[in-house]
Amino acid sequence: MSGDVKNRIKGVEEMIQVVLLAIPREISARHFYLSAAKKATSEESRELFEFLAQQEMGHEAELRRILENLKNDLDDLKKT
Amino acid sequence: MKKSELKSFDGKDGRPAYVVYNGKIYDVSKSDLWKDGVHMGRHKAGEDLSEFISMAPHDKEVFDRVEPVGTIEAEQVDASIERLAVLRNLYQKFHPHPILIHFPIGLFVFGAFMQLLFLLSENRSFEFTAFYAITFGALGVFPAVAAGIFSWWINYDMTFTTIFKNKLAGSIILIISVLFLVPLRFIVPDIALRSDTMSYIYNALIFVNVPVTLFIAYNGGKITWPS
Repeated sequence: MSGDVKNRIKGVEEMIQVVLLAIPREISARHFYLSAAKKATSEESRELFEFLAQQEMGHEAELRRILENLKNDLDDLKKT
Repeated sequence: MKKSELKSFDGKDGRPAYVVYNGKIYDVSKSDLWKDGVHMGRHKAGEDLSEFISMAPHDKEVFDRVEPVGTIEAEQVDASIERLAVLRNLYQKFHPHPILIHFPIGLFVFGAFMQLLFLLSENRSFEFTAFYAITFGALGVFPAVAAGIFSWWINYDMTFTTIFKNKLAGSIILIISVLFLVPLRFIVPDIALRSDTMSYIYNALIFVNVPVTLFIAYNGGKITWPS
């Protein structure tokens, strides 16, 4: 395996770690906003928290998509 | 249509390109934005896009422009996914790993400090204190490691990355160390007082536990505060 491939594997592994650590944060943030929405005392704040929770769900979905792509990239690199 | 059947409508090789939003199926085959079943190089036809819409530069009203061609059948949620979500919620509520790791960290550092005082002063009460601290620290290692592995499973799908490799390696070293130290001290109560090789190893391991524990904790901190 060439040095270039090794460096690329290292880079992808680092990215996997970054994305992996981010996912539970998005889940946690979503729970936090949903909980805040339930406690909201005004319609405006409830809508805001629900919107933010929706955003976090989108972030999680995007991160999972990226994670899957990175894992595929890593598998491909290890085969070379 | 079942969600599992949707995958074949991927827009490739002349196949129709279907996407799902909120349970409705939309045919985007004729859209210039879905050439070969790929949208903006990110989203693929044959997938449910409901969770992605909040990240899109457009709002959900784009689906109003397309007539739905069907609906996705409600399928029973995979029991393992549901169980994982329940466990994840429980973990986030009680967060056992960050609670449990503080016992071995504190007790091993305190135990090493007491052992140092014993070696400097030869006052046996320090040695006893060190032994008790290390014993309780050792008992705390097992639930802390178990909670850490549980967290690694439910939150990170047991994916091996540098941080988790470091934490696992450190934990294995620590477990081996305490499994040696504590029974040895029970069997040979004066082990710390002697001047033989085993005694040197015993004393050295007590101090080695400190950087090993801190190394594990440091890597744990990188999960909480990633850089």
